[in-house]
Amino acid sequence: MSTTTPAARASQTLPPAAHGLSRRQFGLAAGSAVLTVAIPLGAQTPPQPAAPAPAARPPVNRAPGSFIRIGTDGVVTFLLPTCEMGQGIHTAQAMILAEELGADWTRVRTAMPEQVTPDYRLPMGQQRSVGSFGVRFWHDPLRRAAAQTRELLTLAAAERLSVPPASLNAEDGHIIHAASGRRVPFGDLVQAASVLPVPQTPVLRPAEQRKLTGKTMRRIDTPDKVTGRALYAVDMKAPGMLHGAVRLSPVFRAEVESMDPASVRGMPGVVAVVPVPNGAVIVARSWWQAKQAADKLTIRFKATPNDRVSTPELDERMRAALDGGTLPAALQRGDMDAAFRAPHRVVEADYAVPLLAHACMEPINCMAQAGPDRLDLWTGTQAQDILLRECGAAGGYKPEQVYFHNAYLGGGFGRKTQAESAIQAMLASRAVGGRPVKVLWSRADDMQQGQYRQTMMCRMRAALDADGRIQGLRVRVAGPQMGRDNGIPLANGVVDGMSLTGIIDMQYQIPHMLVDHAVVPMPMALSPWRSIANSFTGFFMEAFINECAAAAGKDPLEFRRQHLQGRPRMLAVLDRVAQSAGWGSPAPAGVARGLAVVESYGSPVAQVVEARLRDGHVKVEKVHVAIDCGRAINPGQVESQMSGGVVDALSVALRAKITIKDGRAEQSSFGDYQILRMGEEPQVLTHIVEIGSPLGGVGEPGVPPLAPALAAAASILSGKQVRRLPLADAGLA
Amino acid sequence: MSTQLQINSRRVRVDSAAETPLLWVLRDELGMTGTKYGCGVGLCGACTVHVGNDPARACITPVGALARQQVRTIEGLEQDRIGRALQGAWIANDVPQCGYCQCGQLMSAAVLLRTTPKPSDTDITQAMAGNICRCGTYDRIRAAIHEAARALSV
Repeated sequence: MSTTTPAARASQTLPPAAHGLSRRQFGLAAGSAVLTVAIPLGAQTPPQPAAPAPAARPPVNRAPGSFIRIGTDGVVTFLLPTCEMGQGIHTAQAMILAEELGADWTRVRTAMPEQVTPDYRLPMGQQRSVGSFGVRFWHDPLRRAAAQTRELLTLAAAERLSVPPASLNAEDGHIIHAASGRRVPFGDLVQAASVLPVPQTPVLRPAEQRKLTGKTMRRIDTPDKVTGRALYAVDMKAPGMLHGAVRLSPVFRAEVESMDPASVRGMPGVVAVVPVPNGAVIVARSWWQAKQAADKLTIRFKATPNDRVSTPELDERMRAALDGGTLPAALQRGDMDAAFRAPHRVVEADYAVPLLAHACMEPINCMAQAGPDRLDLWTGTQAQDILLRECGAAGGYKPEQVYFHNAYLGGGFGRKTQAESAIQAMLASRAVGGRPVKVLWSRADDMQQGQYRQTMMCRMRAALDADGRIQGLRVRVAGPQMGRDNGIPLANGVVDGMSLTGIIDMQYQIPHMLVDHAVVPMPMALSPWRSIANSFTGFFMEAFINECAAAAGKDPLEFRRQHLQGRPRMLAVLDRVAQSAGWGSPAPAGVARGLAVVESYGSPVAQVVEARLRDGHVKVEKVHVAIDCGRAINPGQVESQMSGGVVDALSVALRAKITIKDGRAEQSSFGDYQILRMGEEPQVLTHIVEIGSPLGGVGEPGVPPLAPALAAAASILSGKQVRRLPLADAGLA
Repeated sequence: MSTQLQINSRRVRVDSAAETPLLWVLRDELGMTGTKYGCGVGLCGACTVHVGNDPARACITPVGALARQQVRTIEGLEQDRIGRALQGAWIANDVPQCGYCQCGQLMSAAVLLRTTPKPSDTDITQAMAGNICRCGTYDRIRAAIHEAARALSV
């Protein structure tokens, strides 16, 4: 079955958004030869105000027409809730839909919804592409919508053929009456099906009818991504479009004191200088012209308390916070005093991780056309509801007035959940009479304007008994509260999930435990970074578990098994990765191995890193990975996410970090924020463990185990315990 | 002032100032958006094009220096056999994730195979080290280059 071209070409037939339906085309899709009506089967829910995120919300009865449109020409268009930022999700979600519907895989297209409606909400109430939810959450609602649609088509066909619905099946874009050999194409049935009541208890296909999921299918976006035809937000065009470059305060959160637009007046192409929060957008006929003027603009920023902030000072504050007194517990279990009253052995260690940039290959950008009663945003966003809320507040638009044309994202990693460039583009468009303005940040803007992964320190203290079991574990983290900074309420008034996940819900069986968070506020904006807290709590926990194992004189695998009884998924990935790596057999000469296992986003992942020293630097040669994500929808893409997650995590474990001096980031590009390059990539061997677990995430869980596994190997190789990232700080990379 | 260029075997006259980097002439004046902006200082390779037979970073190549030169961009890669073989191998190996860097990767790989039809792993590392992939697709890029080289040798 050909799997590539037609769906990928959706982006060409639906300009100007790469794969969003514009209003003009909404309800219309270009067929192969003629324009035909694309019919939603089941009414869409209208846009509603962006809701806050209360703990529980009533289940949404999602309209199948919000996800599936079928033209009278038989072309099936899937409106997908999750953006495509590299994780292969459009292919996976289309596979789930096409399989349940019985669509012809060669004739499906993908698009994204234009508006924020309850149909596209995640469980917490947001319309976002976060939390590795693309499959693990959307699988069931998408499947249900496809089954409802299939049943509507089946009922219409039963009427037309005068046969019972139970005698029909749906395959390859047809409703088929096997007994008589009659086949009715979907396209011939949509008019009749669209007026039938939507079945509320559709019957799902049994597993033996699966034709797509579980098999590696080629991605539908690849053909356009190798020809330059794939459109990212930065590639958007609109008639009359102008370009915007930014000049923003180099010190975090500094406001503009004065600026002199005359300083750039008369420069080639310059159209306007537009004040925006913390700076200005310079609008010009090309981005290059806008950028030249942005660099020349005379602008002064107000002094702030952050003007002297530096990384050594922030580190000092966090160290002091680790030493501080009693704090409210984020997690308390058992009796810590009893656990430490007469321990056989006490293990203690402090760990630290730096600020990180996301450094998406596609820098932050957005195009906006801000009319009096309609705002169009051409963007690659992971969080439509955040842009809706913030642009609504800054621009006075109602939810139903905001339209998204969500293109491919040139990387997201959590960074593209923020609204700064959308607000800038909206304000710039207003300033030039509502013409579309595309604002693009330079690489230096992208790297220096914050929204970092938080820096964090951690102090671990464990009491081991005579059998080498951890009886008590005391954890204190020190650093900012990224979740609270992003408007997420603290659980029980103290627990910031975006800082503590991975510790407070860790899988090891430890009878006595106390966790707290010494809050050290930071001036820079912080935002989720692939795997959020797990990117550092995974390091803290697993590096410490390795140290505890050594203190107990136990093999790290055995030590974990001992503390993971009753955790079959963790044990299964550990066993698989151990088998792959030949754990227990001697490593090749000069090679050191390190092990770690972390469950995040519903998927346990175990990794064994094999590394050696080369010219005093740690060189990772091979990484064995085992993941239990329930069922792999598209196994080849699970492998891609595992190897990509390893490379991502290795880049920041070896060298990359953001440091602050005089209130500003010191790094500006890929020269001083070093991402792994060709030749440094390890061989990654991925094993997918399927033991009947619920569906788990895939995009993020490959990241957390890498750093602690690497630290274990690096500690063996260097003879020094690695407790701080990146390794370059210790001269090891 | 205008500059005359040959882009993908087509004669093009552009009006951007001579010091304007080719990248912005392609993207903003000619609407050819396959060549990507990644860093603007020649460090990431997302904007790689060919000038004559050599790879060039369009973000630091002033258009005025290209008068009467042959420029090839990703939009013209399928015009030659090596380009088509690479694109086929990229699809067969499902190389791209976000895909933003991949046009630049393909342009660098095309120069490699033109000069080194049977590249070793070391050749690939050297030729491709200037192209960053944030998604970490290096293993599949390497496999696809080897596969394209094999396909071209038969």
